[in-house]
Amino acid sequence: MKIGKRKAHAHVHESRGDIMFGAVIAFILIVFAIATAIPLISELAVSLSSKTASQMNRINLLPVEFTLDSWKYLLAKGGIWKPFLISVTSTILGVAIALILNVLMAYPLSKTEFKPSKYIMLFVVFTMIFAAPKVPYFLTLRTYGLYNNYWVLILPHIMTAYNLIIVRTFFKQFPKELEEAAMIDGCGKFRILFQIVLPASKAVLATVGLFYGVTMWNQYEHPLMFINNMDLFPLQMKIRSIVDGGSELQAVTMLQDANYTQATLSAVAVVFAIIPILIAYPWIQKYFAKGAMLGSVKG
Amino acid sequence: MKRKSVKALICAVMAATLALGALSGCGTGSGTGEKKASENGDASDEDLEVWTTNNGFLAIEHGSETYNLFKELTGVGIVQPYVEWNGGETYKEQLNYRIAANDMPDMFTPVDGMETDLIESGALLDLTDLLPEKAPHLWESIPQEVWDAVKANDPTGNNRIYTIPTVISYGRNGAMIRKDWLDNLGLDMPTTQEEFVEVLRAFKNNDPNGNGVADEIPTGGREEAKWMGQLFGQYGIAMWEGAPQWDIYDGELTYSAVTQNMKDCLEWMSELYKEGLMDPETLLNDKAAWDGKINSGVVGIWEHIPQECYNYAENIYNATGVQPEIAILPAISAPGYEGFYTERQMNGSTFVVANTDDEAKIDKIMAVLDAYGNKDLWMDFYNGVEGMHSEEVDGKLVRLPDDPATMENIYALSPYNNIADLDFQVELLSSQLTPEREWSVSQAITNVQDLQNYVKTYAGDGLPDSIYADYPDIGNRTLYVEYATKIITGEYSIDKFDEFVDRWYESGGEEVTKLAREWYANKTK
Repeated sequence: MKIGKRKAHAHVHESRGDIMFGAVIAFILIVFAIATAIPLISELAVSLSSKTASQMNRINLLPVEFTLDSWKYLLAKGGIWKPFLISVTSTILGVAIALILNVLMAYPLSKTEFKPSKYIMLFVVFTMIFAAPKVPYFLTLRTYGLYNNYWVLILPHIMTAYNLIIVRTFFKQFPKELEEAAMIDGCGKFRILFQIVLPASKAVLATVGLFYGVTMWNQYEHPLMFINNMDLFPLQMKIRSIVDGGSELQAVTMLQDANYTQATLSAVAVVFAIIPILIAYPWIQKYFAKGAMLGSVKG
Repeated sequence: MKRKSVKALICAVMAATLALGALSGCGTGSGTGEKKASENGDASDEDLEVWTTNNGFLAIEHGSETYNLFKELTGVGIVQPYVEWNGGETYKEQLNYRIAANDMPDMFTPVDGMETDLIESGALLDLTDLLPEKAPHLWESIPQEVWDAVKANDPTGNNRIYTIPTVISYGRNGAMIRKDWLDNLGLDMPTTQEEFVEVLRAFKNNDPNGNGVADEIPTGGREEAKWMGQLFGQYGIAMWEGAPQWDIYDGELTYSAVTQNMKDCLEWMSELYKEGLMDPETLLNDKAAWDGKINSGVVGIWEHIPQECYNYAENIYNATGVQPEIAILPAISAPGYEGFYTERQMNGSTFVVANTDDEAKIDKIMAVLDAYGNKDLWMDFYNGVEGMHSEEVDGKLVRLPDDPATMENIYALSPYNNIADLDFQVELLSSQLTPEREWSVSQAITNVQDLQNYVKTYAGDGLPDSIYADYPDIGNRTLYVEYATKIITGEYSIDKFDEFVDRWYESGGEEVTKLAREWYANKTK
């Protein structure tokens, strides 16, 4: 209410300086947007170009000698669907588990009645400052049986201190009156959480879910450390294996008549991996803009 | 009150521990199958786990086609998980985790001199007595002087053999020239530096590719002054793919980057650069960019691997419709110097073996090494699995183009790359001489043999990377690349070279030189 009023007020008195300021901001953002889009467009162009054009480095922002051969090959024979499925399932499963656990932990921590909350938060913040060195970390997770194990794609990522604090902060701001009213009507604690609080928390769930989702979809370091069984590769690892190829010394082979190169296949793989995120973002963005501010209001 | 909250806290921690335990417990349950399969192979005690370079190919799993082929050739089951290579960086990291977990692969390619520490800590198997007895083929297919050099590299000073070296016993890298351009312009093959520069000028100005556009790049190379042996070689500089090597200068083993040879060469190169005779983007080209220029048919002289020049020839033909003639550029001597192309015989280590007391396992490893060194089997290793890596054409097997997405890593055992000699390379090339590509492959066959007239080995061949252990910047040639590139592009004058030499010696060059000379004294003892 208050914010809306102030906004309207500012609008009436928008000075020349304000307009200039807005224009400069818009200009900078447009430049950033273009700078971000160019590599993707250029990769897309490479992925749609012919072998000869790629070998001659003739491709900039538009495909040269347009062909779908690289796409056909990679999607049909590239072995990319299994890693894709692994990434999709581990991301969905991971986000679901992460949200449940974060909510279940953040909710009590947000209540002043819960006395140990202070101490537990101390432990939580501790993990933000100190991280385990790599080798002991590797040995520990390996001892847990998380080596070459599907769950290593999920379990290490389901609880991040930063995200937990965002959820907790949101719950802290939740109007007490609503909860009290529900309690008077006879709701138990779980019912309050799941039927009163959560339905009103879509923004924070979407934001944190997106954070977790992007982490899990893009994860590369954990699978690199813990997975060397190709049957368990998530998409990003598979893509690395496609992009990583090519050595100085090449085998003497029969003539290659395929109309793709290492470079065009890499480009296909890269574009392929970005598409799902590109599709998911707009859906979540409306929550995201709201939710990203949440953590900043009250610490 | 306080007591109560402490109690609650303990309860919470215990509950969390329990919950985590349950979660990771169920993880283990569902994952044990995979774990066994790739960590040690299904029959973990039967198979050997071997780690090598893998440029994106599929893993070799127990019972797979490549597994069966290797078993047939060596008598031993070999598995290789997929370990990302990434220029050796990621590979090293993952290998180090396994070493830390006390679970080394049975046999693996060491990188960045890591074998030194492993040998000193007794983690690697001493192969000195085993090789002649149990792997005689390998013992004989590597020259005795190379074994002597391997012994000289034993960091414990006991002259034992712990590594299987990567040996290229012929000149592999050298400069190539578009002979058809020379013919178009009516020029002779240059033999002196003066003629060489004249040829560069003619390439630049007289439109040798005849397309009416001055798009020719007379010569050039890649970022970090890599792949420019056609220029460095003229000043007698030992240089391998852009990395300065150690050779005898003024009677002593010296890093070739800090010699008068290098100073004179860089000064000359900066003149070429200024005149536009070198690609203006020389020091920005990555592999793809530089290869792209050569493939587009606009580069006149470049250094690469002549046995592969049929690739360039065919790419140029596809791109321009002109069948190029690629020839070896004879080694040219700058005034006062003896020019050559560097022949590096010892290229690090292909394998080391994890130390073990298990006699049966040692026998298996020796069986693999023996087959690996057996010339009669090299062609079989090369052709790989019929239907995956090769195909029968006119009654003989021909290797299919590399396709990492569908092929298992046949390079896990690649004696044809790691110990093969010139004769075998020629035999390999000849096996691909189908009528439609005879014009290109025959150029490679001629060139790889021709190149041998111009190559020279050097004193520092086989020097282990471990001398750089305490001075990684020198090992990574950071300072050299900075000064060399700035001098070539004219940002620094050549007078800055002396400052480079001083700084190099001060920042560890002194100590590294001492280690290198000690190594050399021991080797030539």
